[in-house]
Amino acid sequence: MAVEAKHLALHHSDGEENLREQLMFDPKPRKEMNAMVMEAMQTADLKYWTVVAILAGLVATCLLGAWGYMIVVGMGVAGINRPVFWGLFISNFVFWIGISHAGTFVSAILRVFKAEFRRPFTRAAELMTTFGLAAGATYPLIHLGRVWTFYYMIPAPNQRGLWPNFHSPLEWDLVAITTYLLGSTMYLFLPLIPDLAMARDNSTGWRYQLYRFLALGWRGTETEWRHLTTAIKIFAWTIIPVMFSVHTIVSWDFAVSMTPGWHSTIFGPFFIAGAVFSGVSAVAMVLFIIRISMVNMDYFIRAEHFDGLGKLVLIFSFVWAYFYFNEFMVEWYGGEAAHHNVMDFITKGPNAWLWYVMLICNIVIPWLTLWSGKVRRTPWMMFVIGVVINIGMYIERVVIVPITLSRGRFPFDWGEYTPRVEILISIGSLSLFLLLYALASRVIPLIPVWEVQEGQEAHSLKKIGKTEVPSVIDVE
Amino acid sequence: MEESHGKWGMVIDLDRCNGCQACVTACSLENNIPATGYDNASYGRGMHWMRIIRTWEGEYPDIKANFQPVMCQQCGRAPCEPVCPVFATQHSQAEEINLQVYNRCIGTRYCANNCPYTARVFNWFDWEHPEPMNYYLNPDVTVRGRGVMEKCTFCVQRIRRGEETAKAQGRGVQDGEVQPACAQVCPTNAIVFGDFSDPESRVSQLASTQRSARLEESLGTQPRVVYLQSLL
Amino acid sequence: MSDTLSRRDFLKLATLGSAAAAALTGCGTAARYVKRQPYSDMPEYTLPGQSTFYATTCQDCAAGCGLIVRTVEGRALKVEGNPNHPVSRGRTCARAQAALQGLYNPDRVIGPQMQAQRGSGAFGPINWETAITVVKDALQKTPPAEIAFLTGLAPDHVFDLVSELTAALGAPPPLRYGALGMFEARHTLAQAAAAVFGTPGLPVFDLAGAQVVFSFGANFAETWLSPVAYQRAFGEMRQTQDPLHSRGYLVQFEARMSLTAASADEWVPVTPGSEGILAQAFARLLVDPAADIAAAAQAAGVSEERLLRLAGIFARAERKLALPGGAALAQSNGLETAQAILALNVLAGNLGQPGGVQFWLAPAVGQDGGAASFGEIKDLVDRMNKGQVKTLFIHGVNPLFELPQALGFAQALENVSQVISFASFFNETAAQSNYLLPDHTPFEAWGYQRTSSGGEQGTLSSIQPVVTPLYDTKSSVDVLLAAFQLLGDETAPRLPYRDEVAYLQQAVAKLVQQGASFTSNDPALFWTQWLQQGGWWSSAAAAVNGAVPPGLTVPPPEYHGAGEFYLLPFPHPHLGDGAGANRPWLQETPDPMTTVMWDSWVEINPQTADRLGLKDDDVVQVVSPVGSVNAVVYRYPAIRPDTVAIPFGQGHTELGRYAQGRGANPLDLLSLRRNAAGDLAFAAVKVDLRPTGLTRKLARFEDRVGVYGDGKK
Repeated sequence: MAVEAKHLALHHSDGEENLREQLMFDPKPRKEMNAMVMEAMQTADLKYWTVVAILAGLVATCLLGAWGYMIVVGMGVAGINRPVFWGLFISNFVFWIGISHAGTFVSAILRVFKAEFRRPFTRAAELMTTFGLAAGATYPLIHLGRVWTFYYMIPAPNQRGLWPNFHSPLEWDLVAITTYLLGSTMYLFLPLIPDLAMARDNSTGWRYQLYRFLALGWRGTETEWRHLTTAIKIFAWTIIPVMFSVHTIVSWDFAVSMTPGWHSTIFGPFFIAGAVFSGVSAVAMVLFIIRISMVNMDYFIRAEHFDGLGKLVLIFSFVWAYFYFNEFMVEWYGGEAAHHNVMDFITKGPNAWLWYVMLICNIVIPWLTLWSGKVRRTPWMMFVIGVVINIGMYIERVVIVPITLSRGRFPFDWGEYTPRVEILISIGSLSLFLLLYALASRVIPLIPVWEVQEGQEAHSLKKIGKTEVPSVIDVE
Repeated sequence: MEESHGKWGMVIDLDRCNGCQACVTACSLENNIPATGYDNASYGRGMHWMRIIRTWEGEYPDIKANFQPVMCQQCGRAPCEPVCPVFATQHSQAEEINLQVYNRCIGTRYCANNCPYTARVFNWFDWEHPEPMNYYLNPDVTVRGRGVMEKCTFCVQRIRRGEETAKAQGRGVQDGEVQPACAQVCPTNAIVFGDFSDPESRVSQLASTQRSARLEESLGTQPRVVYLQSLL
Repeated sequence: MSDTLSRRDFLKLATLGSAAAAALTGCGTAARYVKRQPYSDMPEYTLPGQSTFYATTCQDCAAGCGLIVRTVEGRALKVEGNPNHPVSRGRTCARAQAALQGLYNPDRVIGPQMQAQRGSGAFGPINWETAITVVKDALQKTPPAEIAFLTGLAPDHVFDLVSELTAALGAPPPLRYGALGMFEARHTLAQAAAAVFGTPGLPVFDLAGAQVVFSFGANFAETWLSPVAYQRAFGEMRQTQDPLHSRGYLVQFEARMSLTAASADEWVPVTPGSEGILAQAFARLLVDPAADIAAAAQAAGVSEERLLRLAGIFARAERKLALPGGAALAQSNGLETAQAILALNVLAGNLGQPGGVQFWLAPAVGQDGGAASFGEIKDLVDRMNKGQVKTLFIHGVNPLFELPQALGFAQALENVSQVISFASFFNETAAQSNYLLPDHTPFEAWGYQRTSSGGEQGTLSSIQPVVTPLYDTKSSVDVLLAAFQLLGDETAPRLPYRDEVAYLQQAVAKLVQQGASFTSNDPALFWTQWLQQGGWWSSAAAAVNGAVPPGLTVPPPEYHGAGEFYLLPFPHPHLGDGAGANRPWLQETPDPMTTVMWDSWVEINPQTADRLGLKDDDVVQVVSPVGSVNAVVYRYPAIRPDTVAIPFGQGHTELGRYAQGRGANPLDLLSLRRNAAGDLAFAAVKVDLRPTGLTRKLARFEDRVGVYGDGKK
């Protein structure tokens, strides 16, 4: 639904300051912006390297080391047991896939709907998608009992005629996640090309060689731009259904099962809402970190970006709450004893505090704070709220996976779950995400300079209802 | 001779069962199931393919304990089967039971989550059979390594052997000729195994009584294990 | 088998007699006298992939169930029941299933050993020549009166041979003892049977044929007398094939709901020690339905209406049976209780009837004097303490574990100059021996066992090796015979047996005349059939006549100690006399009632536990007048609030990696009070509970929250 753009004169006095800021009405020459981005990318002080070293150490020990130990000794070093056959590994998987959603959501959907405030941070969000997937996609491997045979899942023709089972949601996962990983990487790469070319033109040494290779000989001709914008448009449109399908499929891992507490038709949209909710708040967190840790970034990442993300987070908090209680309501009304046992355990069991913390994090805090524009426009507060929401959403996944599983149909066989090596591996994969991001921040231009410039040069306002929003005349 | 295959099934008479657990031990020794030790057993990692669910009814002094041996119910429409990404849990066309293909299993444990009967167990470690304890391992049954799922097979090795013996002698398998370890050992004769496709077999006869019921039948799993309710 | 019968001939014979589905072989890998065959004729048991089945007898308890062991290429793979055997009829219990974990236990004694300093643990290997010389010297140099033999509970060939040996030497006869015998109060039961029926020995109760069964603490689903036989009968009683037979009704009277009580139709929690009084009340009601039973109801702590209702059920039944269980007999009034319960059978008119009390004709082999009473063991300990025992031979029993600590066996042992143990496992008693001369484990050994405690027929069950011995062990009978041959020309001929098999063959030959399940005039063929079938049995029953002993009154029970709770030790359903504790699968198989694995526990009624502020997994000190043990609390909903129960079988300080350092031994709490028959009144101690503030998580199979709602509050 493209919105009819109406060009209006810019003489509105009310909130002119605001509009000015939203549209970045303090344009800088392209050269200067290029230099700023390049400087940000090339500044790596001791603090940065210390952080990278620590993260690398954590990845080596907590992720690779602990995982290697688990492969050699057996899954028993984790806390999973009978009947809790899936534990934090799967919670982490769902969490990271959820995080990876926001990048695409923010970037592609806002791009498609021509939301102007997206421009400076689409790249940062897209990177989150890729690295969130990198962290998340390791979990299906980590949780395999015999990871050395993971390739049995790949539909590769073989002389024994063995074929994977396409009825299995896990097989759907494999296909969906692979598609999404490839698609989102392409989608990350396409808008990156002009920036890589910019970096190529502004660097020497190994960076020059790297960017020369990556920029694919971009020269910025009219034809190249036309092809690029078309390609971006196609990818932006197509990645959206892929994104929706991925998390729906992740939810089917649970929804198609017969397990009480999982067997629910609403899981698809519910998981999407949760994923976007946690992902968008994670974007706010990442932006805050970028803003404080990298030079020149306060020019590109401004309060109004946090403001926009804050509104999105609030909306998705509503959506998530609706689905969550809808699901609860239906299960309660269904009246099946096994389902009631699960609900009782979640809300009244020894781990019920998790459930209440989740509600506070996901509903109470966003609803109390995000109404306020002041809060939304204060980056550190948005960071704190992002942390809180992600804790809440992580707990939600914990409640859905191990806690639900520990209440099967026979009370005699109920179980308890205490994570063991999972904790190390979770820290490890968080470190992996941060490490990849930290490294990428010094290699990839985090700000799509050409998009920012495009916004600054071709801005206008359009009226939707009674509201005026910034808009842009397409380059073409 | 005509190839005919049995619809193997089991009838467990809960009025006879007194919960003695001999079936659990017999199953474990027939099927090379390792004992896991105090720590693992207390943390839900016991490898018992069958278990006896003991439930209490009432309060002291009018209290009653009920026993129900539960193993893989060999569902006709098994929830474990469609969720396995690699066909490691499969419906055997010959025996019409669920098979676990250990070599194919990659250890997603999804089948175990989806089993309404919690009948599946997972090899959390390479369990130890200290020398010479490994001498009694049954050569007809795979010794499972770490990372694979396993469950009751209805002692498929015994079914196969019985069928082959009968075929070699040019006859059909007789009722009661094939017995899994649990049915064979049961001191109260509560577990009966046989062919449901033969209306004259003991299992068919027993299953047609009014006491017969299947576990969690409403889920539509079509279990192949029939319980005869206790008359207490 | 004679030297002339070849394996080929044997196989021909075997096919004639093999009616069973399994190809039974009477002649195993360890057969002794087999004619040599050309190398190219491979014996059947070496064929790859082919199973060979051997019939033998389970020796993990004294019941003597017939087994068939599946072997492939010389390895024993699976224990199955012998379908023809009258005790087990193809069924076994969990213990028999795990017997292979005894044979292939990694903690076996692998050869003869000695230690200079007893208890030092510094065992050094010796060879069998030395060992036999040691036994010879012991037999020769010790004055006969100062030799003592202690053997296991089973009435087997070892007991018979040792009986002959001690008779030949003029030494005191061997004593048969085992903790399970104590828990069943076997001696008391035999004494009561002698008083009521005039026949000493264990009666057999036809549970299968009965319609109403009153069981006074007879836990036949666990260990009582012949658990497999009685469980089989229980199944028949419940759902018989006979359409005219109504479904049997079982009522269990005991303070704690045992597995048997759990499967009974009614469980009546009675005060421990009141069983005999109840039995008498039922007897009175049987004669006079208007009799006054208020006192009995009061003593048992059961309402009068309920007793009257039960008595009505009992009276109306056509075939009724009363079972005297161990816990009821192990009271100060145990002998009178046993007599009262047996007398109830007399009044029920079931003697010799289907569904009643029977006696099987024992095989004419050996002398079965019955299990030793606790009093006889105490006499032995007294003799040891006085220095009247110089050499003690111990076979098949672990007295340091299976006797109450208060008896002081360990201290008495210090006054014995030489202890020779034949244990196959390094148990508590073996650790205190001078010489450890390991016997074969049951599946490597020859032998026989009389079984008369249950089943359908009197049996001489055969024991034959199913695999060649794994280690440098030697049959104890062979060791004793070899040592005896060295005693000189005057003594040696008194035991004219070349070796164990020769001894068995002459014993089995006596049955040729008795006739039964199979007959053959050829001793060699008879012997082969005996091995192949798994034993000899005869359904000839002895006539039973009984009368209520005149003037029989059951005195009120007396208890030792001023504690708050009755203590009820009970044998663990799987670990039995404690020898099963080193079988990992017996440890891992959940206890049927509590689902506890790898540990022992103390069962406390939740009401009592709440009053004492005890939660699950709290460690309490159980204090009796003579000792104390620490045990983990299990809030057991089916036990009298005034009773606590502890399973027996754990608490080993030796016996290898699987058994050591687990749980507690409740025998440490028992005082030495005995009943009139001389058996230990193990259920007549009162104890106190003292919280320790410690907790230890019990390994339970069940979920605490799901079953008991723990942690919900």
